[in-house]
Amino acid sequence: MISRQAGRRIYTISSGHKRTKPKKTAGSRTTARQKNEPLSQREQRILLQLVACGSIFVLLVAVKLLLPGRMAQLNEHLSGLMQQNMDVQAVFSAVGRAVSGEENIGGTLEDVYQAVFKPQEGEPLETAATVEGQLQIPQALDSLRSFRTGAGGTWIGEESSSGNAAKTDQLQQTAPTEAAGQPETSTLAYVLYSDQNLPEHVSMEQAILGFDYCTPVMGTLSSNFGYREHPVEGEERFHYGIDIAADTGTAVGCFADGTVTAVGESSSYGKYLIVAHEGGYSTLYAHCSKVTASSGTSVTEGQKIAEVGETGMATGPHLHFELHRESDYLNPIYYVALG
Amino acid sequence: MWLWDRGTLQISGGFWLLTAWFVLANGVDLLAVVLAAAGTHELGHYLALRACGAGISRVRISVFGAVMETAGGPLSYRRELVTVLAGPAANLLCALAMVVAGGERWSIPVGANLVLCSFNLLPIRPLDGGRTLELLVSWAAGPAAGEWAARCVGGCTALALAAGIVFLMHCSGGSLWLLPAVIGLLGTAAGEIVGNSDFLGA
Repeated sequence: MISRQAGRRIYTISSGHKRTKPKKTAGSRTTARQKNEPLSQREQRILLQLVACGSIFVLLVAVKLLLPGRMAQLNEHLSGLMQQNMDVQAVFSAVGRAVSGEENIGGTLEDVYQAVFKPQEGEPLETAATVEGQLQIPQALDSLRSFRTGAGGTWIGEESSSGNAAKTDQLQQTAPTEAAGQPETSTLAYVLYSDQNLPEHVSMEQAILGFDYCTPVMGTLSSNFGYREHPVEGEERFHYGIDIAADTGTAVGCFADGTVTAVGESSSYGKYLIVAHEGGYSTLYAHCSKVTASSGTSVTEGQKIAEVGETGMATGPHLHFELHRESDYLNPIYYVALG
Repeated sequence: MWLWDRGTLQISGGFWLLTAWFVLANGVDLLAVVLAAAGTHELGHYLALRACGAGISRVRISVFGAVMETAGGPLSYRRELVTVLAGPAANLLCALAMVVAGGERWSIPVGANLVLCSFNLLPIRPLDGGRTLELLVSWAAGPAAGEWAARCVGGCTALALAAGIVFLMHCSGGSLWLLPAVIGLLGTAAGEIVGNSDFLGA
């Protein structure tokens, strides 16, 4: 009996063992699976992300290799789009003004739209309007409008010579009023020319500067120094600098060592600055999207002083570059190297 | 993931990145204005929570905004509504106070507060507007109806907003910086419509 009982006991114990053992292993297996499954899911996700990033990379490289021209175009287009950052401050101030009753809702919506989607174009329009209001010289505006024509530059040497009395009178009328209306020399740069001789304060000589200099922006020459024709009115007007076309945001390097004497904004020049160099020379950089140097500071040759833009009277992003000696305008083309 | 973790306050790396970008693009002054408006908003939530007798166990700040985890049990619908709406209300009050006190002088902070307030009142779910909608419908017709309403309205609003932004971007040909916002909106819309709240893997 005892042995039987004992045998039974042993049996029950062993059976208990047998029962518990598989349970334990099954349990440990399930816990292991529970631990593994989320991990593998996460790994799968990371793998998926890696594969996605890798394929985008491979795709872009392939496109760049197979269609380089197309890619460059796309790149330019994209960087153009990236330049248009939204103007958060303008959004806030438009909404704030609407609440304080300064502006109606339609105007606010327009302001917000302008600030979010076209921040670059909004500013110059506003400043141009205020400066025009101060000037109140319609003739000056006419001459400024002709400046927009950009293309079709003609060289001074190609000009035929025959006097024009009416235009001489016009110049004599405009020049003094402009000088009175705006102290800076900027708008004077675009006065109507009088005759086929050089306008006042223009020198075509290739002066020896006597200091080191460099090209402010590497770009393409889009308009020359000298007379150029207005395509609509057929009038010819003098262009007192050269235009170098480059992408908005391209750094403008200072022409030579000097001191920033003026930083300003006008309806014609947009954002501009003037740097005085030794020997009575000075250079002017106009239509900048941003002027990074501040007035009164000394700058060195090649130092970044501004960024190319199309502020003021401009039909595209470019640098309008002028070289002055005292009050004379020189042709900057002799001192720049363009591709 | 968390670049600043002190138990009760967690700040994600994305938030620092966003802040750095914002400073580069808009300057420190504007960052201060925006942070002040965001602070006002969160202060509104916090004060309402305290008034309802609940506390905060943890604050998480990520790219998508700040999230407060409440300590203590779930709140009643009415109390939760109050705490959710307290944030935008704080912004609104702050803006009104500034208009009354300063008029036009404070137009930028006033605008920042109002923009933040109206953005948060969008009926898309992680935002206060979406939660308000969910709570209101849940209160009136039960949690299932609330969930359903929040999904439908949130998804549709997010889709419509994304489509609107894309349309305006197409028309004006600019502001590529809004593309992440569009992607975020589309992700949220997909999450709400498909029904997987973990869609973005956040």
